[in-house]
Parts: sequence; C-alpha cells; structure tokens
Amino acid sequence: MDANARYNQLIQDLRMELRPQREWGDGKGLYLVVGHFFNGLACGAWLFSLLFGQTTGLLAAYLMGIIGGVTHLMFLGRPARFWRMVRQQKTAWVSRGFLGLSLFLAGATLYLAPIYLPGLLWSEGSLLSTIGYVAAMLGMIGIMGYMGFVYTASKAVPFWNSPLHPALYVSYSLRGGVAVLFVTSWLVPPAKDLTPILLPLWGGITAVVALLFALEIHGALTGGNEAARRSVHDLLAGRVSGYFYLGTLALGLVLPAYFMYAGMSGATTTGLMALLGLASAVGDFFMKFSTLRAGVFLPVWTHLSHQRR
Amino acid sequence: MRWGMVIDLKRCIACYGCQLACKAEHGTPPGVFFARVLKHEEGQFPSVRQLFLPVLCNHCEEPPCVDVCPTGASSKNDADGIVSIDPDVCVGCRSCMMACPYSNRYFNDKPQHYFPQGPTPFEQRRGADHQRDVVMKCNFCKDRVAAGKEPACVANCVTVARVFGDLDDPNSEVSRLIKERGGFPLHPELGTKPSVYYLPA
Amino acid sequence: MNDMTDIKAQGTGDAWVPTSCALCYGSCSILAHRVDDVVVKIEGNPESVVGKGRLCGKGVAGLMTHYDPNRLTVPLRRTNPKKGLNEDPGWKEISWEEALSECADVLRRLRADDPRKLTVQRTTTVSASRMPFLAFNAAFGTPNLSAAGGGMHCGNGAHLLSGLMHGSWSVVPDFQYCNYAIFFGASKGHAAGHASASNMGMAAEARSRGMRMVVVDPMCNFAAAKATEWVPIRVGTDGALALAMCQVLVNELAVFDEAYLQAKTNAPYLIGPKQRYMRDATTGKPMVWDLKQGAARPFNAVAAADMALDGDFEVDGVACQPAFELLRRHLRKFTPEWAETITTIPAANIRRISAEFGREARIGSTIVVEGVTLPYRPVAAIAFRGSQGHMNSVYNFFAISLLNQLVGAADVVGSCLGFNPASNGFEETGRLAYKPHPDADGLMKTGTWMGYHLPYPIAEPKLPEKSGLQDLFVFGLTSPFLDSDDSEALWQKLELPYRPEVMLNFGANLLMSIANKESLANSLARYKFMISIDIFATETSAFADIVLPDCGHLQTLDSRSNYPFIFSLPAGMGEWCWPIRQPVLPPDGEQRRFQDVLLELADRIGIRADLNAAYNASMNLAPPYRLQGDRKYSYEEICDAELKSNFGPERGLDWFKEHGVLKWPKKPEEVYWRPFADVRVPIYWEFIGPVYEKIESLTAPRGIKVPAEYYQPLPDFLPCLSHQCKAPGFDLYAFYYRDILHTNSFTMENPWLDEAAQLDPLSYTIAINADTGRKKGIADGAWIWVENEKGRRVKGRVHLTQAVHPEGLGVAACAGHWGEGMPIAKGKGVFFNDLLELDWEHTSPINLNLDLCARVKVSLAGEGQR
Repeated sequence: MDANARYNQLIQDLRMELRPQREWGDGKGLYLVVGHFFNGLACGAWLFSLLFGQTTGLLAAYLMGIIGGVTHLMFLGRPARFWRMVRQQKTAWVSRGFLGLSLFLAGATLYLAPIYLPGLLWSEGSLLSTIGYVAAMLGMIGIMGYMGFVYTASKAVPFWNSPLHPALYVSYSLRGGVAVLFVTSWLVPPAKDLTPILLPLWGGITAVVALLFALEIHGALTGGNEAARRSVHDLLAGRVSGYFYLGTLALGLVLPAYFMYAGMSGATTTGLMALLGLASAVGDFFMKFSTLRAGVFLPVWTHLSHQRR
Repeated sequence: MRWGMVIDLKRCIACYGCQLACKAEHGTPPGVFFARVLKHEEGQFPSVRQLFLPVLCNHCEEPPCVDVCPTGASSKNDADGIVSIDPDVCVGCRSCMMACPYSNRYFNDKPQHYFPQGPTPFEQRRGADHQRDVVMKCNFCKDRVAAGKEPACVANCVTVARVFGDLDDPNSEVSRLIKERGGFPLHPELGTKPSVYYLPA
Repeated sequence: MNDMTDIKAQGTGDAWVPTSCALCYGSCSILAHRVDDVVVKIEGNPESVVGKGRLCGKGVAGLMTHYDPNRLTVPLRRTNPKKGLNEDPGWKEISWEEALSECADVLRRLRADDPRKLTVQRTTTVSASRMPFLAFNAAFGTPNLSAAGGGMHCGNGAHLLSGLMHGSWSVVPDFQYCNYAIFFGASKGHAAGHASASNMGMAAEARSRGMRMVVVDPMCNFAAAKATEWVPIRVGTDGALALAMCQVLVNELAVFDEAYLQAKTNAPYLIGPKQRYMRDATTGKPMVWDLKQGAARPFNAVAAADMALDGDFEVDGVACQPAFELLRRHLRKFTPEWAETITTIPAANIRRISAEFGREARIGSTIVVEGVTLPYRPVAAIAFRGSQGHMNSVYNFFAISLLNQLVGAADVVGSCLGFNPASNGFEETGRLAYKPHPDADGLMKTGTWMGYHLPYPIAEPKLPEKSGLQDLFVFGLTSPFLDSDDSEALWQKLELPYRPEVMLNFGANLLMSIANKESLANSLARYKFMISIDIFATETSAFADIVLPDCGHLQTLDSRSNYPFIFSLPAGMGEWCWPIRQPVLPPDGEQRRFQDVLLELADRIGIRADLNAAYNASMNLAPPYRLQGDRKYSYEEICDAELKSNFGPERGLDWFKEHGVLKWPKKPEEVYWRPFADVRVPIYWEFIGPVYEKIESLTAPRGIKVPAEYYQPLPDFLPCLSHQCKAPGFDLYAFYYRDILHTNSFTMENPWLDEAAQLDPLSYTIAINADTGRKKGIADGAWIWVENEKGRRVKGRVHLTQAVHPEGLGVAACAGHWGEGMPIAKGKGVFFNDLLELDWEHTSPINLNLDLCARVKVSLAGEGQR
C-alpha cells in the first residue's frame, strides 16, 4: 500500500464512528503479526524442546526467534532507533518484550553454541551455557507475556483490552511449540517417537485455546462495549471472517483435528503429524492476524449522548 | 500547574476552524490531525439531534499512551501536565495509538505534503520539523503557550467555545466553568483523567 | 502598473500584515504572518470588528489557496476555436502585451459598435471587486453586470425584501438582545453568509445567553443542529408556514403591534378599488382613516395612533379598507390545517410556534440601551436562500417578513435587523452618512445600496436593454436569462436591440454556479470572445479566448474590502469598522491584479476619462480627491483618494496599510434606527399592480404570458414546479445548501478544506432520510443516480440520516468539479446544479429567481466514482 492509498484509507476510516485499526496488521503492520507469530512459535518450541530434550527444536526456536526479531524491526517506523525500546521497563510491555527477545536471543546463542559448535567456544554445562539457559528462559517468559499484555494495554481497542488476552497468547505459544516439534520430528526424527506425547498435548492445549477464545468472544459480546461487539462481528461475520473461518478454523482446527483423529485411530506417520503441526501453526497465524485486524477503536461518543442537557 | 481546556459544546457549530487553524499552526502533513471535529447523530426523525465534538489530545493526567511507549518518546511534563512526543526518540511502534482511547494520535506515513507537485513554501517552513514514520499529536501548542498566547484552536475559535487555563487553580476560568456548568471529560471510566473537558450542548 | 516594489523591498524579516480574507464574501479582517518571503500563518485580526480576530476554517486555510501550485501564472490564449464541454482549449502561453492588446482591440471595436454587447460577470466571493467593475462597466457603457451568474447562492428575493422592509441587503437577528428567532432556510450565524464569522460568534453568545431558536428547514444541519427546535418542512413551502403563522397571530390570537403598524407601515393606508390607495385629491398623498375626526385624511396629516387599521369605510362614495383590514381578510384562508397539508408541519405545532413568537415579542415593551430608551421586540423571523430560492421567492420572503412587521420586530432592540442600514457616518469628516428616508407616499427608500436598481421605488418596466431582462422584470436583481436555454427566444420576442458578443468574466465559475452545465455551455459558446480573469483555470475559463492570471487575496489591494456596511459588517451594537486589503506577497510569475488590468484595458480602449469619472461617482469622492480628466492613476492612488476622501488627508493608504482598520463606535440611534426614521414599509404592495400592468402590456403582445398571481399586493403560497410533478417514481424534492467548509465551487481546490470536507459526513454526499433510503433498498454509502424529470442526472454517494425530511434530498452546493485546472477539487462532491433546468418555466416570473428545488427519483448506481 503506497502512501496515497494509506491516506485514502485513513480518510475513509475516519468517517466511521466504529473505526477499524489498521496500524497493526495492515500493510507494513503485517510484519508485526509475522513477528508475533514467529516469536510465539519460538517460545513454545524452546520450552517443549527443553522439556523433551530436542536440540533440533531448540535450533528451530532460535531461528524463529531471529526471524521474529527481524520482522519486529521491519514493522517499526524508525527501526534504526530500535535500541531505544529498552528504556521503559517499568510500564511498557513493548520494552519488556524487547528485553525478553534480546535476552532470549543472547541466551539461546550462549546455550546453543556449545551444542552446535562443540569444542569451539565453551562447553555445555559451563557457566556461560548456564547463563544462556537462564537468560533464554527468562526471555522466553518475557516474550510470551509481552505479546498478550501489549494487547491488554491497548485501551483504544476494547476487543483486545481483555485480561484473557495474555493467557490466550501464552496458549497460542504453547500450541505453536508443539506444532514446531511435530515438524522438527519429521525433519530430524528423534530417538524416541514423541507423537504419543505431543498428540494429546496438542489436543489439550488446543482445547484450552478454544475455551479461552470462546470466553473472550463471550466477554466481548456481553461487556456492553459497542466497539468490542463490532470487532466480534467483523471477526465472525464481517471484514475478517474469511481469514477466521478459512485460516483459523478450517486450517488451524478442523484439519489438524482430523489429523489428530487419524493419528489417535492408529495410522500415524511423522509426515502426517508434521502436516498437523504446519496446519496448526498456520491456523495460529490467522488467529493472531484476524483478531488483530478485527480491532476496532473505542468510539469517543459512547459517553457523550447522555451528557446533553 | 496543569494546563487544561474546556470546550463548550453549546457554542460549537462544527465550523472546522479549530481543525484548520491547527493545520495552519503546525503545518501537519495530510492525514495528521492534532485537532479534529467529529459529527454524530442521535435520535429518530423528527426528534433527531446533531452533536458536534471537537477533539484533540486530552493531555491525560494518567496517560495510557505514555505508559505503553517503549522509548520514552511520549512523556508527560509534570510541571504543566502537557503530554508530548519527542520525534527524535519515537521508534514508530504505534503502541500509543492502540492505547489512546480517544484516537488522537496519528502515524505519519502518508504523503508528506498536500499538492502532488511538492511542498508549498508554507509547508517547507512549517513542516520542516516533522518526521516521517513517527507518531504525531497535539502538544497544546506549547510553543505558543510559552510565548504567552493561547493554543491556536482556542485563539481562533469563532464561537469562543474554547477556554484554556490551569486546572490546578480552582479560580481559573476553566475550573470555574467545569464546576458551574457540569464539565465532563471523555471516557472518565477509563481512569485516564483527561485535561480536556466539555460543557454540555 | 503592477507596482509591487513596496512588497519586494520587504524581502526579509518578520511581520504581521493586517489585511482581509477573500475566501468568501464575508471578507473578515486577517493578519498574515510573513516570515522572510513566506506567509506562515493567517489569523484573525482582533483589532477588527469583522471576524473579531477569529476565523472560520476557510479563512485560516486561505494560505493553501494562495500557495496552490495549480494557480494561473501566465496569460493564456486558446488555440482550439471550437468551444464546448468536451473541447480542450489548447492553451498557449502568451505575453501580457499580446493578451492585453488583443483584449483591448476586441473591446475597443465592440464599444464603437455597441457597448451593451459586453457582458461583465464577477464573482461575489471577492466582494471588493464590485467597485472596480461597477466603474469599468459604467465607463464602458454596458448595463450588463452580473454577480456570479443567474443567482445561484444569491438572494433575489432576500435582497429585494430586505431592501424594501429593512433598508439593507440582508437581515439577521439582533443576536445581542434577541430571545426567540425563527430561521426559515437560513444558516446565518451557523455557517455561511454575510458577516459569517462575526455572526457565528454572536449567535454562539446568544445561544449561551439562552436565546431560543426554531429552525424551519428540510434538513437538520448548521443552524438546525444548534436550534432549540428543528421544524422539518417540505422543500419550498416556507411561505405557506409563514402565512399560517400570520393568520394565527392576526386572526386567532389577535397579537400584533398596533402602534408599530400604524406608525411604521402602510397598514392604515386606505385601499380602494383596483387595489390602489385612496389618494387625497389635493396633495396626492395616500389617505388613512382618522379615527379622531372620523374622516379620511392624508397619512401625513394624521397622528399615527389615530389611524384606523380595521373596518370598512366609504370615502366620497367609494368603498375602501385599511390595508391591514385587507391583510387580515386575506390571511383567513391560510389556516394551520391548510398549511399542514402543504408543509407537513402539524397544525398544532404551527399554532404553538406562532403563539411563542407572539408572546416573546413583548409588544409594547421598551428597553434602555446605552442610555437611550428604545422599543424592545426580542423576536426575529429570518430567511435566506433556502426559503426564497424558489418560484415563489418573493411571496415566501414577504410572508416571513410580515411576521416581523406584525409584531413590530424590525430594527429595534432584539428584533430582526437589517445589516447597518443607517449610519451617522465618520464624525471627523461627516462622510459615509446614510439613512433610510421616505418617498412621497411615506414609504422607505434605502440610504445606500449594493448596485442593480434600488429595491424601492420599483423602477418603471420597459422593453429590455439588459440581456438579463431586469429592466423589464424590475423586481429581479440577478437573472438566469444571460445564459438560459430560451434566452435567444426571449430576446427576440422582447426585441433586445443587440446580442451579447463579448464576455468579461472575473472569477465566476458560472458553468458550476447556476444550473445544468449543458445550458451554460451553450450560452458561453455563443460569445464571440471571452476574457476570463481568474486565479485558477476553471471549467468556465475553458470557454475563454484569453485567460488572465489574477493575484490572490494575499497579493492584492482594495481600499474597501468590506464596504458598504449593509453587506457584511455585523449588525447590532458595536463598532463601525473600515478595513482594507493590502498585498502581503508579490505576484507569482506574471500574475497581475485585476484592478490594474481593468485600468490598463481602459487606457488601451481609450476610456480612462470615463473611468475616472465613474470612480468619482461610484466611490462618491469628495471634491479635493476627485480623479482628474484622463490622468493615469494607479490603483494605489485611487484607493488612497477614496480613503483620504472618507477619513481625512492623514488617513490615506499608508495609514491604512499600517493600521489595517479604522473603527468608531455605533450609537443606539444608528443600530435601532427605525423609531428615528420617518419611514413606513409596505405590508401591502399597492405599487405592484401598476408594475404588473406595465409588464403585461409589454409582454402580452409579444407572446409572453406573465401570470398575474405572482403580482398581488399580498403574499400567497404558489407551488414550485417540483410540487406539481406527478410523474411516477419522482418522489423526492432535491435541494441544495451551502456547506460551512466551502464557498461555492471555489474552495474545493483548497486541500485542507477538501480534506475536512471528505471527513465530514455530508459535505460531499447526498443526504436522504434513513427510513426513506431503507424503503428504497439504498444502504448508507451506496452510489446512486439522482434524476430529474427531464432525464438530467447526477451521481453521488448516499449518506443516510435521520436529519432530513423524508421527502428531501439534500446536497451541498456547487461541488463536483470536472475540469483539470483544479485537480484537488476534481470529482469531489455532487454537482447538484446539473438537476436544475435553466429556462423561463423554472424562473419566478416576478423576480427571475431560478428555482433551486427539483423533483427527482433515485436509483442505485454501480460501484465506484463517477
């Protein structure tokens, strides 16, 4: 979208009383969704890879962390000033996310270096490696939290401005982590097949995600806020419903659920599970994308009408 | 002290004088409005009423935009309550735009001047300090205020609907108007404590 | 000429230059902040009464009009001889010498042939252009001077009636004291119009003070949006409402100001046979019935309080009645129930509003203003273009005007005021004094006027010498017949002794400001030669042979940017104020001020002596300052002469350039002049019958039928053509209104104003009642065609709203540019005028007012822009 098209879009939007937000998720704002998507995957993958001792998964998480970081920067208006974002740890979740990502990448580098470059730098279990382990873990927690809380802190967009959002983003992250492991297990088969663990785990987390999402939608519909209701409308029956139904529901839920059903009923292959992971991850992407795009600004009129005398 | 503004909705006729006086004062690029006029309709024919609402940054006492800003570019001056953005520090993450419940912040990524042929001499001069790809908003005309003038939208308001003054001073005209005429801020339930109050139409 | 050395010399530095806005005819006083060579801000000039230091959006946005890179900078000549809507003029840049010598050659030859063949048209937006063009026209010898075409946006009825009843160009409530105002299709104080910015401030103050306002309008925007009550009305039926209100006041409630009617109107004048005054045999004066002496006597021989208002009398065996008695009887048929069927306003509401108006008038009360005891009538019935822009223009405004006259709310404290019709002048020099004064019948003649003919006495109709036929249809000010489809037919029938051949156009985009563009294009293409002076290459200029680049409002000079005071100086108490306009910036490229161009053309044509004489007369220069012979004065010198003539030798142009404005206080006797002027105004138009007879005697033998029902002494309700349309599907009344953001078609090119208008829900859209729209299956934001009975149609985006009458279809006027010369404006908004027919049938046969409403049908159009 060039500057003129953005301008025309803004003018059109400003005429609406319930105005969709377009800064995040549209045009260059798409980088933010991509960034959140990869960083979410990275966090979940890192966590589960550590749990299940999957070094491929760790590497994948690391790489996705880098991709997420770069796309985050590409989203910024002034990326050259990125280092300034570290400053407001006390109040700003973006600062915390930035610190988290920095910690994660630095920590993961320290932790992965001896694993993938054995004997070259420092050894596994060394102090540096341990520092890396801890830093990456803290960073991971920071990122997982940042993504949800950054929405919760968005007072202008009532649909996001919900306490459930952080929990939802953490669960996306976990679901994404499982999805990544499905894929890495197919690329580099681990010593012991993880499918029997991952499949119910995926199913369980997916159920949690669905529950949280349902609660959020319910909250938005009953919270009495017109903008939140419009967001739900846009998501389920409006501007972004195509992404939601095809991307989130069909690709992210129905298709992987079918694969899971197929897996549970016996005939499972790692390839099929990788497809499940891929579909689940793409579904998560559309989930983030469509909820972001469904954001509608709080109208300033809400409290004005009854102020007339 | 805490600068504040009172806008009398009974006087306002939505002439857009504030929106355009602000453009003239700040030379803001297309799609950036430090001041705007909103129109809203309520009721059914024939008992319908038109409501006009001039808006600008509310310079909140508890500004959510400042809280979410990762770089400190958005900040509140505790000496006068003015919330402003340092264009040299803003990284363009637009978190503040998602935090401002009043939609009074604009991201400057649209055309930088009004005529496709290039910036007018006016825009070259007035717009020289504006940066692309950062967030912009009203700063209560702090340069004018420092020079002892009223903000441009206040000084120009043809219906004299706007009053500017110190909210901390209980004897100021703004404080008096809020008290006597039931001044109200927008979305008080959000706890942002705006410094811009409206008098009922 | 074009001496801008004073400006160029001030190349650097920082200055606030006092001058005048020209984004609309309000001409507010401004300060232009110039830093080095750039104007960085325009603010209102707080020293001036005009705008009081505060500006509307257009005013502050003026610098973007000035700095528009699409401005004309060089003279252009067309290379394509063919003229038409789809013809590219093929502009070629030429030198001023070439341009002026060609124009002068054409004009010289034309003047030698027949000067009346020149038609001069100027925009009303630059109100200060009136004087240079009046002078040029007089010197040249043509009677054809038109203000922005045939009257779109102009009040043929409003100015006539305001002149007749208030001695001024327009009326406004006395915002400082009024408690109850009824607006009929007017936005004064809430959008555009005379003294617009000043009035916005005064109206807001009045609202704040508690003035109640009832706004009668098909649409609830601007004034109606701020009103205490919006009264939605069927388009074009305001007169019916006003007549019913008069009926309630006079016959149901018996609320009227007897003393005022006796002393200040012709209500007591006895009307005999044939709707004529009973005149005294010896003095020839109209007679009244003297209640004290029980006899008919000349009005000037009887104390007002003794004049009968009611009853039947017999004078020398001739039955007669006071005019008021006839009015009272005439009103009986206009019951609120009758009005309800016409206006859609419930009869109960009409009764209630009438009663409120009558009660709030406080008939008989007085108030002290600055030590002077004055009548106090804090009510006003105010009308403007909306209610009088119809076939029934005259009666609509007449009926509304009667409301004020009935309760004595005319130019007294709190009432309906004319804009400054009486002034004691500037004390030091004794100049600029004027005041309404009586004719032999005691009826009011204005003290000053804006041009055309005076509103009263009504001129003697004659076979036309003006191509607009205003010298035959003497109630008309502007005329559609310069450009109408049938103008040639009318000229033939009425034996116009010449045909217009050359058009000199200044700033008017008549192709967009009158009616449908085909009619206008045909008319423009008929001119053998057309000169257009403008700041943009408009749609109209595309028909010109030579286009001359004018200076903008920040580059030009006017000694009287806001005079006469009856035009745009705020009414009510305050100060008299004389601002000027002065150059802040030099011309860009080869731009030249039109004032200089007219002087130069006069020299080349060889009419400088006539021009000097015309300036002397039209500026009424005092003897020491009169322009001499054929001396070549610069426009600076002419301005200097006028200023010194009015304000003394020490206050010439230099003084005004430094100070910007001169002001002095108004006295209560000036503002509330009515009790101090021995004039009466006509509630009964006795003079109209003879005028009709004369017109009819000229038109009937020539095959033009002029309907007598438009020429009656008392107002009636006559429907517009749109009210009589029976064609199926044509169920909406389309009307236009003036947007607060725009001045006619001019300001859409200003990108700031355009941007704001794009954000506004209404500026560029078609307003239709939401329920009506839904019934038709039209959604908000849909693109629709609006089509009139003749098949003309325009396309636009719908805005569904509850704030418009269910039968109404409202469009902001004069939008929808299609030319390339104003690229920002191109394609913005809806070109309403394309729905208007331009012919005799759609014109008021009394004051030539083109009807602004059209019966239309709407249908869904495809997606996208036009």
